[in-house]
Amino acid sequence: MAKQQVNPNPSSKLEWFEDRLPLISFMKAELVDYPAPKNLNYAWNFGSLAGIALILQILTGFFLTMHYKADAGLAFDSIQHIMRDVNWGWLIRNLHMVGASFFFIVVYIHIGRGLYYGSYKSPREILWGMGVLIFFLMMATAFLGYVLPWGQMSFWGAQVITNLISVIPLVGDDIVIWLWGGYGVNDATLTRFYSLHFLLPFVILGVVFLHLWALHNRKVKSNNPTGIDLKKDTDFVPFHPYYTIKDTFGLAVYMLPFLFMVFYMPDYLGHTDNYIPADPMTTPAHIVPEWYFLPFYAILRAINFNILFLDSKLLGVIAMVSSIAILFILPILDKSKVRSARFRPIYKVMFWAFIANFFFLGWLGAKPAEQPYTAMSQVATALYFGFFLALPWIAKIEKTKPLPTSI
Amino acid sequence: MKKLLSLLTVLTLVSTSALAAGGSVELPKQPWSFQSVKADWEKDKIYRGYQVATQVCMSCHGFKYIKHRDLMKVGFTEAEVKKLAEEMEMSVMDTFKSALSDEDAIAAYAKALPDLSVMNKARPGGADYTYALLTGYKEAPEGFNLPDTGSYNEYFPGHVIAMPAPLAEGQVDYFDGTNATVKQMASDVAYFMQWTAEPELTTRQQLGVYVLLYVFILAILLYFTKKRIWSDIKRKDTE
Ligand code: HEC
Ligand code: HEM
Repeated sequence: MAKQQVNPNPSSKLEWFEDRLPLISFMKAELVDYPAPKNLNYAWNFGSLAGIALILQILTGFFLTMHYKADAGLAFDSIQHIMRDVNWGWLIRNLHMVGASFFFIVVYIHIGRGLYYGSYKSPREILWGMGVLIFFLMMATAFLGYVLPWGQMSFWGAQVITNLISVIPLVGDDIVIWLWGGYGVNDATLTRFYSLHFLLPFVILGVVFLHLWALHNRKVKSNNPTGIDLKKDTDFVPFHPYYTIKDTFGLAVYMLPFLFMVFYMPDYLGHTDNYIPADPMTTPAHIVPEWYFLPFYAILRAINFNILFLDSKLLGVIAMVSSIAILFILPILDKSKVRSARFRPIYKVMFWAFIANFFFLGWLGAKPAEQPYTAMSQVATALYFGFFLALPWIAKIEKTKPLPTSI
Repeated sequence: MKKLLSLLTVLTLVSTSALAAGGSVELPKQPWSFQSVKADWEKDKIYRGYQVATQVCMSCHGFKYIKHRDLMKVGFTEAEVKKLAEEMEMSVMDTFKSALSDEDAIAAYAKALPDLSVMNKARPGGADYTYALLTGYKEAPEGFNLPDTGSYNEYFPGHVIAMPAPLAEGQVDYFDGTNATVKQMASDVAYFMQWTAEPELTTRQQLGVYVLLYVFILAILLYFTKKRIWSDIKRKDTE
């Protein structure tokens, strides 16, 4: 260790400060000098985009809280107040609303990138696991946020989703009542959902910090499109200016479709029923979750049969939660030593089939729970899990292409 | 990667259009002037729509987010707004309440009637739906079992609607002498309801052009900056 003690005669105020809290050197190491592989493609832009999307949600959300009223009698009106009377209120709300959808688009692509290039494999298991945790938290946050405008879909979506908890044997019903703060979704539910919706993004921020800590660990660092370990210093470039400029360019490109939606189709991704005030006496014809939940909703509804003493409703919830939780054990399931799908001919086909099937599930999630959609959902659900369960076996039989020795 | 992105785009388009489909009857599209990005709210059309809304619809429905003062944002003068409010024995700050109380509505129609302020955002099709609904009253087809509490409407889901046909030829005396046909009134009030549903629409659309143009130019400049900065890096693997 070069310097175990602070310099008693610092040559500058900065050195004095840095000796006590090395904030600047930390930021320099992580944001300026951080060695990034020089061959990263644009798929690697989506991590920083996700970070910016998160910050944007926190900022716009913060301004919304200044005018929003978490009260069953006032919530719907307060949204209209924001849209009509608050200066730039409509812009803030549209940014937050469309921003949530785009956050999911970004994170879906980010996860897809990880799947394709095998970024979940050693030594990135923890990094990946933190990512899956973030995804769970994001889904919870988005669900809670969608309840706040207190429209028909808010109310009935909350009713359907919270009811899922009642499938837990023995204690489920009690937990739901405790969660609602009553015998159904009501004012108390709205208020606590608001608290949680405010809190969770900061929890996400904390997990993102761990996610990046795991990434910036000099023994881990970023994966790259070839998936091979990079050994030479010349394979890397400093994060700044190479990736700061690339990420900024990516951000500007991202902003084009995002702002287009904000200014021209802000309600396109939402449901018209949510402009009808919540009415506990009238059930909407179709209760559909937000688009980003649809694939998992399809898996939930696909299980309409009991197995032995296990009820179909319980099994559906288990299937839905497992469909995401299975990502946690992906590093264990995929035993192939080769990371990138570029050198894995069978995995590459499986990957694209998985993506197509995922879109298919999303389409099914928006359909009514009736035939032939239920049968289709069952097949698609089987394919979804089949992808993961086939991986240990594929690793054994797949003949991978020869790996390059360097990039 | 390019493959991935284009595939995702195609799949998204397919799946969202599949989402949007699945409504009931196809709505005929009207050429609304507010669909142009350059459009301002047309004061005269809003005025005519206002006449239909206040003289016809408000005997049953309210517009609880609207007050006379709001009309000043679409070109009405303070004096005009005051006069209109006085004619209805209201102050300019009073919200547009329905003449029918919820209790009376429940007695007459077995339900509280919907507020119309955000109606155009609360139904697929928006203004097209409102227009189609108001002009969609027909004789029930042969053999259709119409309960006497309802009317037959081509565009209402299920076709049986509790609202009796609200518009009749010449029902409104337009301030500008426009001939008050059912279609004219339906169009004017649907337009008015678009304004009440999203008064920011025209501002938003006009501003969007500049914002997108700005970001587009910025993106081009950033692209060349990026290219310049990266020019000293030899990359074998550029994909
Ligand atoms: C005589 C009372 C009455 C008048 C006047 C009236 N309505 Fe209605 N309106 C109703 C009733 C009753 C319903 C509920 C219909 C139902 O749910 O079956 C309704 C429902 C509606 C709906 C919702 C339809 C849906 O999709 O659920 C719209 C839109 C509407 N009215 C627009 C108007 C407009 C615009 C006017 C003025 C031109 C108007 N109404 C005048 C009684 C009236
Ligand atoms: C709030 C959400 C998230 C944020 C802000 C975020 C942020 C980031 C950032 C900035 C990077 C580095 C740049 C990059 O490689 O793209 C990264 C890498 C990574 N993220 Fe995320 N992430 C999020 C969610 C997720 C999720 C949900 C997963 C997986 C389930 C995930 C898995 C990964 C992996 C495996 C890497 C390393 C990628 C590689 O080097 O190949 N992340 N993340």
